[in-house]
Amino acid sequence: MLIPTVPETKPIKLSVRNMAFSYGQKKVLDGLSMDIHAERVTAIIGPSGCGKSTFLKCFNRIHEVSSAVNVSGDMKIDGVDIYRGGIDEVDLRRRVGMVFQKPNPFPKSIYENVAFGPRLFGVSDRTTLDGLVEDALRKAALWDEVKDRLKESATGMSGGQQQRLCIARALAVNPEVLLMDEPCSALDPIATAKIEDLITELKESLTIVIVTHNMQQAARVSDYTAFFWLGKLVEMDLTERIFTTPRVQMTEDYITGRFG
Amino acid sequence: MPDVLETSLTAVPANGVGGSLADGPSAPPAAAESPAFRHSRLRRLTDRWAHLAFLTCSLLVVGLIGGILFFLASRGLAAFWPAAGNTGRALSLSEVFLSADWSPSSDRFGILPFIAGSLGVTGLALLIAAPTGTLTAVFIAKMAPPWMRNLMRQVMDLLVGIPSVVYGIFGLTVVLPLVSHTWLADAPASGFAVSAVILAVMIVPTIVSLSTDAFESLPSSLDEGAQALGSSRWQAIWHVLIPAARPRLLTAAVLGLGRAIGEAMAVQMVIGNNPQWIALMRESTDRAPFLRALFTPAATLTTELVQELPNTAAGSTWNNVLFAMGLLLYLLTMVLILATRRLGRGKEA
Repeated sequence: MLIPTVPETKPIKLSVRNMAFSYGQKKVLDGLSMDIHAERVTAIIGPSGCGKSTFLKCFNRIHEVSSAVNVSGDMKIDGVDIYRGGIDEVDLRRRVGMVFQKPNPFPKSIYENVAFGPRLFGVSDRTTLDGLVEDALRKAALWDEVKDRLKESATGMSGGQQQRLCIARALAVNPEVLLMDEPCSALDPIATAKIEDLITELKESLTIVIVTHNMQQAARVSDYTAFFWLGKLVEMDLTERIFTTPRVQMTEDYITGRFG
Repeated sequence: MPDVLETSLTAVPANGVGGSLADGPSAPPAAAESPAFRHSRLRRLTDRWAHLAFLTCSLLVVGLIGGILFFLASRGLAAFWPAAGNTGRALSLSEVFLSADWSPSSDRFGILPFIAGSLGVTGLALLIAAPTGTLTAVFIAKMAPPWMRNLMRQVMDLLVGIPSVVYGIFGLTVVLPLVSHTWLADAPASGFAVSAVILAVMIVPTIVSLSTDAFESLPSSLDEGAQALGSSRWQAIWHVLIPAARPRLLTAAVLGLGRAIGEAMAVQMVIGNNPQWIALMRESTDRAPFLRALFTPAATLTTELVQELPNTAAGSTWNNVLFAMGLLLYLLTMVLILATRRLGRGKEA
């Protein structure tokens, strides 16, 4: 496995060392190591079933919601182990936000969707909430489209708007990391372009890890790209290098469309 | 395997030469006698008869239901507008629906005690059953390990099918003795509280079953989304899952209510069957009136019908009023069913 050797000015936000993951007896990820830098976009690409989404979900431990899993090795955020460092999972999830493959707005109003996170953490003052909601919606480039209908149901929005709402909802609790699990796979090209612009803006203040099956998207939005295959990290490097001069033959075969 | 393939391949042209399937309408008359053609004519005939049979059955059902409504309405409305040949006295709407005085022997027919009794008992039952059922459903759908989920679902489905008289026996022989001769009821107890508990036990399985379906039909992305924002499991359930499932949870509760309001047997065994319960409570000088009221022997629309209908002469005022009560029950149930339809539609919007 290859780790980039270029000089990087941004600190390491997430570090993974010799990490393995299994559902029951089934090993899904094995021997993974990588560093993810703050204020950078790291893309994870690979064919379906290579474990890229699973890997992403390990950073906020959201897979623990639905099934019994086993993670070994080290996964650290700011040097503290996510699994064994005594971090409360609720606290972890506030620091590490997530956007899912399919937009999943709650069946509530637009306002209540964005206010959901802040309310959970005890913000109840109306003006503070209003400010947080507006701020999050602006960051998600949605404010101008919805400012006059904040009370309307979020499920009536278009798919692209719903996904930006989900981003706003994640941003409202001011996370340090944003995990995006194929955020554009259910969207049309115009909505996709908006989300991609948003990603570029958001990395000014956030660490972003995005899983995508769309290699052009990875090339457009990310600074680093990691290529996964069958639960293993094949290669990780600066995105431009991965897409121009990969060091591993398999990476080249995949990005040129010879398999996957 | 290759052998079979080959023989079937050679068989096709042989059949084709015989001229049965491939030939269109211009087939020679000889083809009319071919087995395939006879078969298709037979099939068309069967189709037509089957169609007729289905139509007859469905018309029969619709006719029956319509007939029952017509029968109930004609006999029930005779209490207010007696038809020719009906010996009953014409009652005014107010002396039936607004009076609490039920003494048929003195020609007084106020059915308020039964309406209030029915609404009270079912309301109380729902108050017990709806929260219990919903929370049980949350547990089954979202918390229980798989083996327990399967077990609980099967148990609930079994409980739905238990005949109501069994619940009545349980109430009569187990629950009533528990509360009789206590601070709550100095006489052998009966009344609202016990009836409501029995009804609640009866409708909880229905509510649990439907509510579990409601929770299981929610996309898991909602649950994950809420927890990814830092909700605890309970916060995700309370703030996201329950609101998202609300239309279907309400439908479940209303269906439970429908079953409760129509129940006669189980309630009749424990409620005490006292049409004068409102008067009895008015006269009471108890210090804890509400609690004691819960154990006052009472009556509902259904129990009174079961109790008295066999003892009255057809066409008498008394009989007419009982039919009017039946009609009222029918309409109440109808309203509930329409309400569930409306709620169900709200879910899709």
